[in-house]
Amino acid sequence: MNEWPGLGTAFWLQLTRDLRLAFRHIGQAANPLMFFVMVTTLFPLALSPAPELLQAIAPGVIWVSALLASLLAAESLFRQDVEDGTMEQLALSPQPLSLLLLAKTTAHWLMTGLPLVLMAPIVGHALFLPGDAVPETMLALLLATPVLSLAGAVMAALTVGLRRGGGLLSLLILPIVMPVLIFGARATDMAMQGLDVGGVMYLLAAILLLAVSLAPAGMAAAMRISLD
Amino acid sequence: MKARNQRLLAVGLVIAGVGLGATFLLKAMNQNILYYYSPTQMEAGEAPEDRRFRVGGLVVEDSIVRKEGTMEVRFTLTDEAHVLPVLYTGILPDLFREGQGIIAHGRLDGGQFVADEILAKHDENYMPPEVAASLEETHKRTGQQQTTGGY
Amino acid sequence: MFAFIHKLGSPPHFWRLSGTMVPWFSWFAVVLIAVGTVGGLWVAPPDYQQLDAFRIIYFHVPSAWLSQFGYVVMAAAAAVGLIWRIKLAHAVAAACAPIGASFTVVALATGSIWGKPMWGTWWVWDARLTSTLVLLFLYFGYMALRAAIDDENRADRASALLAIIGVINIPIIKYSVEWWNTLHQPATISKIGKPSMDPEMLVPLLVMWLGFTFFFFAVLMVRTRAELIARERNKKWLREVIGRG
Repeated sequence: MNEWPGLGTAFWLQLTRDLRLAFRHIGQAANPLMFFVMVTTLFPLALSPAPELLQAIAPGVIWVSALLASLLAAESLFRQDVEDGTMEQLALSPQPLSLLLLAKTTAHWLMTGLPLVLMAPIVGHALFLPGDAVPETMLALLLATPVLSLAGAVMAALTVGLRRGGGLLSLLILPIVMPVLIFGARATDMAMQGLDVGGVMYLLAAILLLAVSLAPAGMAAAMRISLD
Repeated sequence: MKARNQRLLAVGLVIAGVGLGATFLLKAMNQNILYYYSPTQMEAGEAPEDRRFRVGGLVVEDSIVRKEGTMEVRFTLTDEAHVLPVLYTGILPDLFREGQGIIAHGRLDGGQFVADEILAKHDENYMPPEVAASLEETHKRTGQQQTTGGY
Repeated sequence: MFAFIHKLGSPPHFWRLSGTMVPWFSWFAVVLIAVGTVGGLWVAPPDYQQLDAFRIIYFHVPSAWLSQFGYVVMAAAAAVGLIWRIKLAHAVAAACAPIGASFTVVALATGSIWGKPMWGTWWVWDARLTSTLVLLFLYFGYMALRAAIDDENRADRASALLAIIGVINIPIIKYSVEWWNTLHQPATISKIGKPSMDPEMLVPLLVMWLGFTFFFFAVLMVRTRAELIARERNKKWLREVIGRG
């Protein structure tokens, strides 16, 4: 009946296109990761290199740095495509815009969120995070960073094309992702104290599922308002 | 698969995602997500020995001992199953009293908990002193243990 | 039904209606707040545990209520504006944000003053306090987004979407006490079956609550009228009513 690719194919094509583009500008895609590592380096420099102090603040440092890195990443998420008109084409295409934007966000997370998860053990080690808290921290980051990307994508779609984009974007993203920060940092903290982290992980997983289910519709609605 | 069926599938996935998310929320509610230890957990040796952590519980009746001329206070915390002796030096919040739910922040030293910060929790009941006195009277008569506060 | 909504959504009609209601609401607010203040500060007996310090509840609870209610009103108006494309609803949402933000500030300030003697600290990072602070940030974000967009139509719709997303925060505030089991006492008035407050104390609180709510709506209507003057400045009806006086 119609010649258009199915939803799965459309998602895959959009995802691979964005990944290919990201790999061609790998320096730009790596910025949030660099930022994450550098911010965590600032704390020992600013406070003191004393292991017990660093260990005490390690959960907070890791999670705040991850949150800031995701803020930095969100800004460039849709800008290029809106500026060169690609986004108009996506909005006009017969495929649901929400699906295409979800694909873009997935690619974005693979390039900027996943590296943070993989870098966490090294950063954790530098902050004297006990080894047995590392797997829990990585799992919590694995659940939380996609939420950060999704929330960032909704807000980036709302503010794309605005002159005062950068600072405004942080002001919009930070309040809505605060629960993720709280639960994430608590997961790490509880893992360090040897408490059971099951409850917190369920909470993070629940937030992720709700975000994946609902955020794409929000992104599409926001993008259509911004493109008008 | 036809486009329409695919859209139905997508909508179904969204609903399933929300449903599963809600299930996980319920599961999380049933698990311990408190960030303080109870005296029972400390008794079981679950608390860390080498770092600061929080303990929550009720202040045991008649357990508060103040050392003359200093700000040092000793009292016992309970969760109605086990007890924990606490040592604190400093100004206590107004609501700190026997039977009150509190959270203490500090370290374990030997068998006793050395607190450096005490937070008191007040209950959601507001009444004039006479009413409180008569309530207490009734509680005593019926032999019930009165706990203002909870935690 | 549609005719009713249409009439309600028409700015000239709102202008007339609010013109009549603002004085009434203002007087109700003044009288109720005066009665509640006297009742709360002098008539009500001191609390059995907190003594006179509990009296700040007469300002804290109504403000905290309006900080959340204001957001719900804002988001509801924004949703109506977004779905049915009613301009007046967007004007109401725009007018509501600064009022809600102000009450949030008052709730945080009075809560902090109350917390010092009761909890032993000005500020605890407890769920309810933190989520009220987040609510304040949501108001700020809403106002900043609105200010950042020059085109009125886009500003209305983008901020409306933001307000609806932010509403997710309201249930988190409501249930955070149970989730985190922390220092803030459970809400007092919400227990309908058996209020855990003595009637002598509860009545002034309810009076205050009603007075604050009337005050909120009075200010909301005045601000919406101001918003309409800015938005409809080139319309004939506005020139006529303003010209008349």
